[in-house]
Amino acid sequence: MTLQKRLLGWLADAALILYFVFALFPIAWMVILSLKPTNQLFSTYFSFSPTFDGYRTVLGDSEGIPFVRFFVNSLVVSVGAVVLSLVVGLPAAYASARWRFKGSENLMFTLLSFRFAPELTVIIPLFVLYQKLGLFDTYVGMIWVLQLVTLPLIVWIMRSYFADLTPELEQAALLDGYSRKQAFFKVALPLVKPGVAAVSLLAFIFAWNNFVFPLILTSNEAQTVTVGALSFLGGDRPKYNLTAAAALVSVVPPLLLALTIQRYLVRGLSFGAVKS
Amino acid sequence: MIRLEGVHKTYGKTTALDGLDLEVQEGEFFCLLGPSGAGKTTTLKTVAGLEQPDSGTVELDGKDMAGVEPYDRGVAMCFESYALYPHRSAYDNLASPLRSPRHRLPAAEARERIGAIAELLGISGLLDRPVGQLSNGQRQRVALGRVLVRPARAFLLDEPLSHLDAKLRQQMRAELKAIGAVRRTTTLYVTHDSLEALALGDRIGVIRDGRIVQTGTREEIWHRPFDTEVARAFGRPRINLLPGVIASDGGFRSADGKVELPLGVPVRENTDVLVGVRPRDITINGPGHELTGTVYVTEVLGRSVEVTVRLGEQQVSLVAPRADTAGLRPDDPVRLTVRPENLLLFEADRPERPGRRIESTR
Repeated sequence: MTLQKRLLGWLADAALILYFVFALFPIAWMVILSLKPTNQLFSTYFSFSPTFDGYRTVLGDSEGIPFVRFFVNSLVVSVGAVVLSLVVGLPAAYASARWRFKGSENLMFTLLSFRFAPELTVIIPLFVLYQKLGLFDTYVGMIWVLQLVTLPLIVWIMRSYFADLTPELEQAALLDGYSRKQAFFKVALPLVKPGVAAVSLLAFIFAWNNFVFPLILTSNEAQTVTVGALSFLGGDRPKYNLTAAAALVSVVPPLLLALTIQRYLVRGLSFGAVKS
Repeated sequence: MIRLEGVHKTYGKTTALDGLDLEVQEGEFFCLLGPSGAGKTTTLKTVAGLEQPDSGTVELDGKDMAGVEPYDRGVAMCFESYALYPHRSAYDNLASPLRSPRHRLPAAEARERIGAIAELLGISGLLDRPVGQLSNGQRQRVALGRVLVRPARAFLLDEPLSHLDAKLRQQMRAELKAIGAVRRTTTLYVTHDSLEALALGDRIGVIRDGRIVQTGTREEIWHRPFDTEVARAFGRPRINLLPGVIASDGGFRSADGKVELPLGVPVRENTDVLVGVRPRDITINGPGHELTGTVYVTEVLGRSVEVTVRLGEQQVSLVAPRADTAGLRPDDPVRLTVRPENLLLFEADRPERPGRRIESTR
């Protein structure tokens, strides 16, 4: 009986370890790849003399590829897109949660539909437009087009956060003598802070990882890491070690952000707001 | 002064207020009594400007409030859900009105006011706590404090005592009206507890299905209830209602003929009626018209005893002093007395005019 149980436990552990290896292998492979010297790139799998030359090359802007600039571009564009989406999206989410008007549901659905239209369907007209408007390869252009990614996400998720908040809290604020704007900023917004943190992180990751828009709508000045990392594959020989190093470097910001924001993600702040 | 006239409000297909008329005099403590879903909270929110009526007018101090924002109406409201700001301490909740642009006080003065109110409500020791750590009763008092802390044109209180435990509720009920701010300020108080309404209300309004059924002082509501439902709403044990007809002599005869009562109200013979008599208006061996029955059950309430007596097929309950009921056991015969002037007469429940009281000519 107990032996059987213990055996089952071992089996479960073994299965989990197996899965763990399977799941982590791609990342491990990337790390291995990034540490290989260029001359051993194609000759071995696991036995090589590890070196940080790949990282040095990538971060030192050698090989004629300005990776650091791509990295900064990615930061500017992703943060810019999230901030703009928050500025526009939080009031929109609040309004759509609190006031139903004719066509409000259609409006919300339209916003959502931006998310399920594949980016490729709109990319060619966008490319033409961007060329004509002078938005091609600019921060403004990238931040603008990324609204397609971040805005629907923020509006829809924050809408449900606001909807879960009883309107009586803002009503109490109105009767305390605050304007509707103050009721929003002083009462409603602080209570959805965990939601804002969570959705900002998600939106940032989506914006950071976006590939198609920077691929088509930037060339050099505003190019981001997702496209930039592939530059190392061009030339006479594909430099997989440099690409891997670039990819791993570009994982750092979302990872750091997730770690710092983590404590906000789990706090149920509205606990005790109203009797249930 | 608060005045509502012909206020209609619907949410989708449900009608919350159906032509509600209400007038609360300056400085009056007005209790709005009704079951849940009757439109009590909607009435308060309409006065506060948190809900817009579909039609009808709302006036405060004689001014039409149409299009006036809640923060410009100068009313304070205590929500049934408390609606305390969960991210702030009890003190900051109480201070919220005093920091707002419309009711701002200098910080020192505000601290004094909050201290006084907290003292009054017995929450002085809790001010530093976040409201999430307070019990329901404590939260309710903080919510009440947030209303009382600042001067207002009117106080709107939505069941502010409902979540307190019995002892505290009784104590607060007694204290509430003694609070200076409450005494001076027009107050519209919503409750489903008729005891609370009787104890607190200068006047009482009974609301049902989005309309005011009856308004009056506690004496008016008690002695001249609009219909059987209002009569049943006030008084525990509930009023006894016996079905029967008007006999040829103008008196009441129950359906089984076992109960006959003289009536002071002239009513046409053979009218179907309900006669109502409150349990405390029936005495054992007292003066008045006599009835005989048998004891069904007795229940000691403390100094008095509730006795349920069978009168033919009817049952009536009465409340008598303990001395009068000594030795009464189930199935004992008992002689009851009622005074004809304490009888209320209602039309039998009919669909179009259910159970209206028949006006006495006295």
